[in-house]
Amino acid sequence: MTQLGQYLVGGLATGSLYALVALGIVLLYRSSRVLNFAHGDVATLATFVAFTLLGRAVPFSIAVTASLAAAAVLGAAFFFLILRPAKEATLLGKIVMTLGLALVLSGVMQLVWGADEHVFPSPLSDTRVYKLGQVVVSQMSLGTIVSGLVLMGILYVLIQRTKVGLAMRAVAQNTVAAQALGIPARRIYALTWGLASALGGAAGVLLAPVVYLDPFMMLDPFLKGFAAAVLGGIDSLPGAVLGGFLLGVAESVFAGYVSFKFKTTLAFGIIILVLMIRPEGVLGREYHRRV
Amino acid sequence: MNTLARMALALVAVTALVAPAVGQPAERGVTATEITVGTSMPLSGGAAFWGVPISAAIDAWFKKINDEGGIHGRKLRLVVKDDGYLPPRAVANTRELVERDAVFALASSLGTANVFAVRDYVVETQTIWITPLAGVDIWAGFRNKKYIFATYPSYIEEGIYLTTYAAQNLKTKSVAVFYQNDLYGQLGLLGVKRGVAQLKNVKLVGQASYEVTDAEVTAQAQKLKETGADTLILYATPRHGALIVREMAKLSFRPTLVSSFTLTDPAMFALAGEAWNNVYLTAYFPPPGTGDAKVDAALATLSRINPALARSPFNAVGGVAFVEAFLEGLRRTGPNLTKDRLVAAMETLKNWDGEVIRGVTFSPDRHQGTNRMLMLKAENGQYKKLTNWYSYPTKF
Repeated sequence: MTQLGQYLVGGLATGSLYALVALGIVLLYRSSRVLNFAHGDVATLATFVAFTLLGRAVPFSIAVTASLAAAAVLGAAFFFLILRPAKEATLLGKIVMTLGLALVLSGVMQLVWGADEHVFPSPLSDTRVYKLGQVVVSQMSLGTIVSGLVLMGILYVLIQRTKVGLAMRAVAQNTVAAQALGIPARRIYALTWGLASALGGAAGVLLAPVVYLDPFMMLDPFLKGFAAAVLGGIDSLPGAVLGGFLLGVAESVFAGYVSFKFKTTLAFGIIILVLMIRPEGVLGREYHRRV
Repeated sequence: MNTLARMALALVAVTALVAPAVGQPAERGVTATEITVGTSMPLSGGAAFWGVPISAAIDAWFKKINDEGGIHGRKLRLVVKDDGYLPPRAVANTRELVERDAVFALASSLGTANVFAVRDYVVETQTIWITPLAGVDIWAGFRNKKYIFATYPSYIEEGIYLTTYAAQNLKTKSVAVFYQNDLYGQLGLLGVKRGVAQLKNVKLVGQASYEVTDAEVTAQAQKLKETGADTLILYATPRHGALIVREMAKLSFRPTLVSSFTLTDPAMFALAGEAWNNVYLTAYFPPPGTGDAKVDAALATLSRINPALARSPFNAVGGVAFVEAFLEGLRRTGPNLTKDRLVAAMETLKNWDGEVIRGVTFSPDRHQGTNRMLMLKAENGQYKKLTNWYSYPTKF
């Protein structure tokens, strides 16, 4: 029982990060149908911004806020400067553009910060632990889970309870109709890109103290976040959260009881299974093909 | 067109094809003023921690030699290609280095799995290959060794040595292994298994692997804790090594830690924090800061040429260790440089000491240049030498 509890705690902490990454991916996919392959690299860049500021003795909260703002600006700028001018590009073309951005960002980070690992300072301790019975939770894991949940809550309120959120949903459903009703679709798109990138940045800042910061830090979490998004339903925000936690826990329990070697494969096994049984994902809307 | 005219035309065509070749120097990658050397390294991905400083150090060392006038009037030029620690990319890079960049020799190439992947190609093209950074075990009994010179240790022998040392000196009774799930980690695991088999009172109680791409290792830490091992042996990347040590500390599981030399870089103290105290590791050349003046001087030279190398001292001098024997071979070959003359010159090295690498011996029957290691202990951010050299049998 202790064992299972320990695996669950580990899985939840990882899952909350997957969920944050998945939320960013889903947010963009819902509004623009673009799968953003640069999501992980934007997140890593934001984390490096925080890292640099922290190195100059900037307080943690300010450094993190600045890094999230940097991620948001970068995301919005990518939309305004690259994606929007390429109006004629097909969806696939746009996706390839995000791939290009990923490569550029990765190169820039290697050039500026080098390819070696950095220790990312955090106000939470990774070695200070709390005990729930026999199960051990580090302050950092707890902080990650709580921060993840808080961010998800904020996003929920923003999208479901505010006018901006309503506009975002409207643009996602039918851009032309939304524009006809006077919603500034371009600004809403830019906002969506910014918001999604900032979410990724938050995941990066939460992850870096645990796994060390280097330009490739988000490679695995990005792929897992993508898997989580597909698992939960690629156009469903609650689905992304559920998918993230499910995948995190499933991986941890699988690694503990079955095999470490196939832990990474598990995520993709799950994707295949989901696509076969329920292609729209656990919480996604049913997919109708118009004839 | 009559037959004669056709033949004449064919002759002209053939001559045109052959003509440029006649003017070229006899040896690929060698001109009167330059020797081109190539390497495929992980400059990105999970092993960039090794690849970036090692390739930069080789480059810096070449620069030092070039500034001193080169070797027999020839400057050394290093071509580095990034393989991201992925064997398929290492294969593509190596082909490019040989066929397009026309290198005289390949230096190093990092990763046991990567080296294994390009092995047959390099042998087939008869390219000089200096110290492939792979457990030397993959060459055991290998016959086509004429152009391959290894000064890298054996992970199997290291695994045996680590296990035996722990049993004899650290009161080890039960061992667990944390290893990378590829040839590097598997060879280390095999060594530990052999070590355990040779000892009567030590048991292997568990093993946990990870993939290079894994971001976290919490499940492995929990699993290792359940084994209750009193000693854990590490065959990992610095990132995963530091992660597992920290995760185990979180679970208040603190076995005696014993590690491959691959984690000797002092950067581990920053990554793993105080959890890296009291770790036992091997070394196969004297690490910087353990009282060897020549090694410390080499590091100072490297850091002067490329200040970033000071951040990764062990890997930096490692880069020098990997190419020194080759450079000595070039010196001994003399101005008339060909592949076969270089091989003959390299095979005259007998117990030869470089600035960093020590005791290199090659002969027509022996291309495994080094076969010894010693034990270190990590204490308060520094490494302390515990033993003298221990030698193991050569197989290549």
